[in-house]
Amino acid sequence: MEKVLLDILGAIVTFLVAFVVGMTYGGLNRKITARVQNRKGPPWYQNFIDAYKLSSKKSAIHHGVMHHLGPAFLMVTSVMTLLIVPVLSHNNWFPNLNFQGDLIFLLYIMTFGPLGMALGAGQTGNPNSAIGVTRGLSMMVGFEIPWVLALVALMIQYHTTSITGLMAVQAHSGTWLMFSSPFAFIAAVMALFGMFRYSPFDIVGAPTELASGPIAETGGKYLFVMMSSGSVFTFAKLTLYVDLFLGGADNLFILIIKTFALYLIPLLYSLVSPRYRTEQAIRWFWGWPSFFGLLAILQAIIF
Amino acid sequence: MEMIHIIFLIFLGGAVLTYFSGKISKVLQDIFFLASVLVPAYLFFAYVGAGREATLSLGGITLIWGVNHFSWLFSLIVLGLGSMAAIYAIGYMKGKKRKGYFYFNFILSIMAMMGILLSIDLISFFIFWEIMTWSSYLVTIYNGHDIQRIGIKYFVFSAIGAYAMLMAIVIVHHLTGSFLMSSMINFYPNMSLSMQIWIPVMFLLAFGVKAAMMPLHVWAPDAYSNAPMAYTSIFSGALSKMGIYGMVIVLVTMINQIPQGFWFREVIAWLGGITAAIGTLWAIKQDDAKKLLAYSSVAQLGYIITGIAIGTELGMLAGLFLAVMHALFKGTLFMVTGAIEKQTGTTNFNEVTGLIRKMPWTFIAALLSIIALAGIPPLGGFVGKWMLYESLITSNHYLLVIVIFFSSTAAFLYCYKFLFGFFLGQEEKEWAHVKEAPAVMVVPMLIMAVMMFVLGTFPGIILKPINSGLMDLGFVDSFKHLWESSVILNVWGNHVVLQPILYWIIGIFVFFMIFLTWKGFKTTRYVSTKDISSSGEVPADDENLTFSVGFMQPFMRAVAPAMRRQIDKYYNGIADGLESLFEFIRRIYTGNGQTYTIYVIVFVVIVLLFKNILF
Amino acid sequence: MVNDKNSQKIVDFIQNWARKHSIWVLAYGTGCGAIEIPPTMTSRYDAERLGVRGAATPRQADVLLITGYLTVKTLKRVIRVYEQMQDPKYVIGFGSCTINGGMYYDSYNTIKVLDKYLPVDVYINGCMPRPEAVLSGFARLQKRIAEGRANGAQQYKDNLEWYRANQKKIIPNWIMPEYNW
Repeated sequence: MEKVLLDILGAIVTFLVAFVVGMTYGGLNRKITARVQNRKGPPWYQNFIDAYKLSSKKSAIHHGVMHHLGPAFLMVTSVMTLLIVPVLSHNNWFPNLNFQGDLIFLLYIMTFGPLGMALGAGQTGNPNSAIGVTRGLSMMVGFEIPWVLALVALMIQYHTTSITGLMAVQAHSGTWLMFSSPFAFIAAVMALFGMFRYSPFDIVGAPTELASGPIAETGGKYLFVMMSSGSVFTFAKLTLYVDLFLGGADNLFILIIKTFALYLIPLLYSLVSPRYRTEQAIRWFWGWPSFFGLLAILQAIIF
Repeated sequence: MEMIHIIFLIFLGGAVLTYFSGKISKVLQDIFFLASVLVPAYLFFAYVGAGREATLSLGGITLIWGVNHFSWLFSLIVLGLGSMAAIYAIGYMKGKKRKGYFYFNFILSIMAMMGILLSIDLISFFIFWEIMTWSSYLVTIYNGHDIQRIGIKYFVFSAIGAYAMLMAIVIVHHLTGSFLMSSMINFYPNMSLSMQIWIPVMFLLAFGVKAAMMPLHVWAPDAYSNAPMAYTSIFSGALSKMGIYGMVIVLVTMINQIPQGFWFREVIAWLGGITAAIGTLWAIKQDDAKKLLAYSSVAQLGYIITGIAIGTELGMLAGLFLAVMHALFKGTLFMVTGAIEKQTGTTNFNEVTGLIRKMPWTFIAALLSIIALAGIPPLGGFVGKWMLYESLITSNHYLLVIVIFFSSTAAFLYCYKFLFGFFLGQEEKEWAHVKEAPAVMVVPMLIMAVMMFVLGTFPGIILKPINSGLMDLGFVDSFKHLWESSVILNVWGNHVVLQPILYWIIGIFVFFMIFLTWKGFKTTRYVSTKDISSSGEVPADDENLTFSVGFMQPFMRAVAPAMRRQIDKYYNGIADGLESLFEFIRRIYTGNGQTYTIYVIVFVVIVLLFKNILF
Repeated sequence: MVNDKNSQKIVDFIQNWARKHSIWVLAYGTGCGAIEIPPTMTSRYDAERLGVRGAATPRQADVLLITGYLTVKTLKRVIRVYEQMQDPKYVIGFGSCTINGGMYYDSYNTIKVLDKYLPVDVYINGCMPRPEAVLSGFARLQKRIAEGRANGAQQYKDNLEWYRANQKKIIPNWIMPEYNW
């Protein structure tokens, strides 16, 4: 019983850290965007205010059970990803689920939420939502290819499919996989563009085109849960990348530096990009990113 | 009299009784039908264990039937899914014409499948294989339209496969002097190399047709979608597994014995992978649920073929586990489609929308089986997918794993299309009258959905019989080092512990479900799907804003180059070529006596001229 | 704890503060005033530093910004959009046209006084109001929110019959779902 309580406590603490860091990143994103556009921009804590305001909205509507539960599905994915990914290396306080699942499991649990959320978006009956969902699923097929190529390259090079195993490899050899498997890193970072859905890949929720797509009918508390889930997921994904390619992090400070450095890549790329069409986005991912992924596999076979 | 004899007798007698009792009373017919599927199933699982044998002498040839652990596993699929589909069929066929015809062929199909699984000699194997083909052909043309195109296509492919198999059987008999499978397998290493290659190829041709392997799959989409849905669930779920069953035996007992077998298995594994990818792409394109599921079946069978063709223990476990899962979820999905067809009269996504609030139980069954199909934890499909990937990665199939991964990610597109097309979207006045399907149809679907859920966390339930089946085929025991009751491992020692994952998923989901419901409970309200934010417009009652025509258009544009070629067209090309050849040959027969005289003279002259060379 | 008067006050204060600093605007570009929104949002005037940000759909928006004259046809849509927004919600009337009809005071197909049809919280006058004026309008709305006086939605609910009567007088074919918050 005590162990269960401790597990739950660990999950809650991890969740809160991820929530705060993810929200802050969202705020910094808006701040950086503003500075690049020569604006003052909102304060860095703007996203917290937005989230609180959304949660304090007095009324809410839903179009049915799936729409009502859509955010919960999304949250399952975010929190499960967060629990599976080791947040800090040598972390004996809150092991969460670090040793219970491997990379393939992670890939699949990451699709659980989007599908549930897509069902919620579908039930609204808003055509914009359905269009957004089809775009999102199509783009997922696009960016999963380089992402899987990179992961498979890592797996076959180091003969392990677990995240902790790959972290141990880096701790053992002393070099980050970013340097020992550079092509895999490039392919994975390019896939990250698709995961974050910033420009030029913001085809899913294109505000001016689709009226924010899947979340067109979502407001108030539902949007609050989605926003939190998005923040947690941002942190979880970045932590996963840091664990896989940047050697993990011993304490929170280093983790934040590394994740933020990684976060800047899609962010800065988005600032200078317009929006792709869906098929262009898919083909972009099947072009250079997949090429680098294949190089990574070649490297893994040869060396 | 052995129990196996009794089972076959019940099947046969039940089929005939069911057919004729329809003349007396419809209810009696239903009862006879249910009894002649459920009673043998009960008898089989209660009294027939592995190791039982029975013989039957027929005009000098002794037919031998027996059960081992491997065929017991497939019997589980056939009889389990068969019983569920039989219960479902009662509801589905209510009020339809030619029930006796349908029931008769349904029972015969199940009997034939059991016969295939229990056959030890090749003669009874072939006989039951033909009965299976015939009965499924007759159900395929049940609807009576497009017999020319669909029925003939299915029948021609089946016939090609069956004659290839018959040829192989005759050659084997010529070489060994026996019809027993074991003697064929024992003699196999002593054959000449060309025989060692041709005999498996001929067998695989037959099995590949039934398993809808590329490029022999063209019959499947039409046949699956044209048969009544109650039958298609066993057609796709169980009957196609007969091909898998045969393939496993051929691959394990024959091809693995020779050094060239490696390339053989590579080719089949790649064919499986390409089948999966192409099937998925075509499934995304379909606007009809039956067609979509049919192509999806082709794709899923591709995964299974890949798994068993790799031939490692994990690959075998993955393939066979996926086979069981496929029987469950695809059986359920075809049943769902059937239920919707029964309630609305159409299965076209462009016509029917927004059934979720009218058919909630059907939706739950569909949702769970779609999650299983997509391979998303915590349902059973994930276990099979995980094992497949791990077996591919650990056995150095780097590019194949990408192909498989591509197709299983692209599968989300048609998964969503299926759920969205039927259940989500705007609720229309046209379908306001639709009611939930009768309980006799819903209950089997829900039972299978629950089974998928249980298998997702405790795959050991089904991995145990798979393991003992594989041990019968000569694999080593993989318990504890590849699987436990709720842990799955790969050969590198990485694992997924399913139980805590399930509890966490449920815990998180329930927590946020309560949060969303409890927070502002009084000020949250349901609004209809007409009350959407579409630029301030209020859609009229007859105005349908659901987006369903050209649903995956952007994706289809992106993959358009891969879909330009259709295998169907090549087959049509061959058929056209053959037709013109025959047309040319026909011209020889002019019907004029003088021409024939000239032929004779020319022939004699040629013989005289080339006498020295020819003789 | 929620029933306690003082703690309710504190909660209200925090909530109002958050609402004040996070204003998601649904800019309903009804008239020519819509042209003043881009400069307000972009680099020169940067409304985002006040927490003002565009929202794509009424479900997510806090503020309905009526930019300019409203034709009778558009009014129906605007009412629909307003009713789809979630509580608490505010309306800003933008430009002279929303106050008294402005230069369209004698037009046959625009409405003159927006307040008769929707509960306007803040008016911004001018034809056109410059971005500075728009920002000052937002600042005024923020002040009202912080003071808890921006309760147009409550007013609309209380006087629904009066509003409905006015709306139906103008809009001939009234086919709309009921407003039942």
